[in-house]
Amino acid sequence: MIRSNPEELIRKSIAKFVDNELIPSAQEIDEKGEFPMEMFQKIGKMGVFGIRYPKNKGGAGGNTTLYCIICEELARGLMSVAAITAMQCLMGTNFLFHFGTKEMHEKYFLPAMRGEKISCFCLTEPEAGSDLGNVSTLAKKTDKGFVVNGMKTWVTNGPVADFYTVLCQTDPAKKLRGLNFFFFPKDTPGLSASKAFDLLGTRTTQISELAFNEVHIPHEYMLGQEGQGLNNLLSILSEIRTMTAALAIGLQRAALDDSIRYAHERAQFGRTISKYQLIQAKIANMAVNLEASKLLTYKATRMIDNKEECLKEASIAKYFATESACKAGDEVTRIFGAYGYSMEYSAQRYYRDNRFLLYGGGTHEILQPNIARWVGL
Amino acid sequence: MRIIVLVKQVPDTTEVKLDPKTGNLIREGIESIINPDDRHALEAAISLKEKTGGKIIALSMGPPQAVDALSEAIGMGVDEGILLTDRAFAGADTWATSFTLGKAVEKIGGFDLILCGRQAIDGDTAQIGPQVADYLKIPQVTYVFEIEAVRKKSILVKRRMEDGYERIQCELPALLTVIGELNTPRYAMVGGLIDACREKAPIKLWNAADIGVQTCDVGLEGSLTHVIRTFAPKSQRQGEMIEGDAEAAAKSLIGKLKENSLI
Repeated sequence: MIRSNPEELIRKSIAKFVDNELIPSAQEIDEKGEFPMEMFQKIGKMGVFGIRYPKNKGGAGGNTTLYCIICEELARGLMSVAAITAMQCLMGTNFLFHFGTKEMHEKYFLPAMRGEKISCFCLTEPEAGSDLGNVSTLAKKTDKGFVVNGMKTWVTNGPVADFYTVLCQTDPAKKLRGLNFFFFPKDTPGLSASKAFDLLGTRTTQISELAFNEVHIPHEYMLGQEGQGLNNLLSILSEIRTMTAALAIGLQRAALDDSIRYAHERAQFGRTISKYQLIQAKIANMAVNLEASKLLTYKATRMIDNKEECLKEASIAKYFATESACKAGDEVTRIFGAYGYSMEYSAQRYYRDNRFLLYGGGTHEILQPNIARWVGL
Repeated sequence: MRIIVLVKQVPDTTEVKLDPKTGNLIREGIESIINPDDRHALEAAISLKEKTGGKIIALSMGPPQAVDALSEAIGMGVDEGILLTDRAFAGADTWATSFTLGKAVEKIGGFDLILCGRQAIDGDTAQIGPQVADYLKIPQVTYVFEIEAVRKKSILVKRRMEDGYERIQCELPALLTVIGELNTPRYAMVGGLIDACREKAPIKLWNAADIGVQTCDVGLEGSLTHVIRTFAPKSQRQGEMIEGDAEAAAKSLIGKLKENSLI
C-alpha cells in the first residue's frame, strides 16, 4: 500500500501558502498593524483551524505534530499570523469544543473552524500572570447563572474576538481550586475591550484589556466541571509550550534563511561576507540551535500524540527554542549590518517578534526553576 | 458530470539548475510538485463539480512517489486518484504515455470530460492532451481560458489565440487542455490531505496488467522517439547596449541594422 506521509504533505502545502501568500504581504500586514482578516480567512478556508479536532466534529482529524508543523511554517512567514492561528486552533477553541453545548458548538465552534469567527483566551490579570492563584475576576453563582466582575489584560484578539474563553475565580477561598473557565460571546452586556496596545513586535496582533462589569451569563457558559479550571488548563499546557517552541522554530528558519541569502549577496573587501569566519560562526550557531530546537520540539509533539506526560519535555523545548529564536533575531540583524536596523528588511521584524515568544506559555523565569526541579534540584 | 483530470508530478523547475558539465538537470533536493497547468485543470474540475455535482477522478502516471500529487489533488477536492505505476511504464515518450493514459481512461470509462494542463514544465511538449483525445477519438479544445457553459451534451469554452480567442462549442465527452488564465487554483484542505494519507484513502494503483497492455507497447520499449542527449544550448549571442538619448539611439540602431543587412 503506497500512501503519502501526512507530515510531509501538510508541511509542503502550508509552505506553499506561506511562500506565495504570506511572505509577499508580511511587511505590509506588519506595518498596517490591523487584524489580518483576509489572511485569517484564507487560513480558515484551508481547514487549518480544525487541525487538532476530530473530523466528525468539524475538525481536520490531525494531531499535535501536524498542528506544530503548521505553526512553524506560518511563523516562518509572519509571527503574528502564526500566533493568531495557534490561538484559534488551541487555546481559543479547546474548552468550547470539549465543554460547550450543542448550540455553542453550532453557533461559535464550527464557524471558528471555518475562519468566520475569531476566538480568544483570557488568563492574565493586572495582578495575576504566572501566579494564577491570584486571579480575581470573580464569577459569582446566582440562581440564573453567574455574575462576573473583574479585569483581564494581555488578551490576544481582545478587541476583535467574537467570543472569549475566560479563566475566573468562583470561590476566592479555594485559590487554585476555585478557578473555572467561562464562555462569553462578544456582545454580552457589561463586557468591554480596551483599544489595542501599542506593541514592540507582532504588531498586527490585537492585544487589549477586557473588562467585566456585572456580566450575567447562564450556567451552561461554565466550561467544564466546577473546580476543574486549573486541571483543564494543565491538560493543554504541554501543548501550549510545544506550540510556542514550534513558532520559535519558524522564526529561526526565517532568520537563518535571510542570513544565508544576505551573506552570499553582500560583498566587502572583494568577497562576499559568507567567506568570513565570524559570519560563518554565527550561521553555524543558528543552524545548530535550529536543529536542536526541532529535535526537542518534535520529541514533545510525538509524546503528546502518544498521550504521554511531557510537561518537562515541552517546557525544555519552549525554553530552548525561544531562547534560540531570540539569538537568531539578534544575529540576523548583525549579519545584515546597518541594513538590519532598517525597517525595509525583515531582519528587524525577527528581532522584534521574537520577544512575543518569551511570555506566552510561561516566562523563562518560571520555566527554568521548574526544569531545575524536574531534574532533581 | 464525471470528470477525469490528468495530473503529472514534476520537479519544481523554478528551482532546478543544469549541471554545466553534463547538461543534465540537477534534481537532488528539488521538490516535486503538481505540474502548474494541471493545478488549473484540477481547479476547473472542482469548480464544475461544485456547480453541477458529479465525480472527479485524478489520473497520473509515474513512480510510486507520484502518489503525493494525487493526495494533494484529493486535498483540493478530487474524489478519487488512480496512479499508473509500473517499471514497464518508465522512460515513456509522449506517444507511449498518451497510449497508457488512454488505456486507463478506457478502463475507467463513463466520463463526460477530460481536463488536463496545456503542458508540463519538465518536458514542455503540450502533446499529451491532444494525443489522449486522438487515441480516445473524442473532440479536443486546447488552450482553454474560460469555460462559459456546460450543457447536458456539450460544452462552450474560449480558447486563447495569439491575437485573440476562439469561442468553441463541442460535444461531450471531450478533452480540454487549460492554461493558467482559466482560474486561481485553491490550496488543499488540511483535513483532505490527512484523509488522502490514510490506508482507506480512495487512491488506486494500476500496473500494466491492470490496464491490459503489453509491456512492449508502453514505457521506453513502446516509445516512438528516444532521447539521445539533453543539453543546454550554448549562448552565442552577445547583446549590445546603445547609449544616448532616444533619437540618437534610434539612429545608431538603424545604422547597425543596415550595416548587417537586416533592413
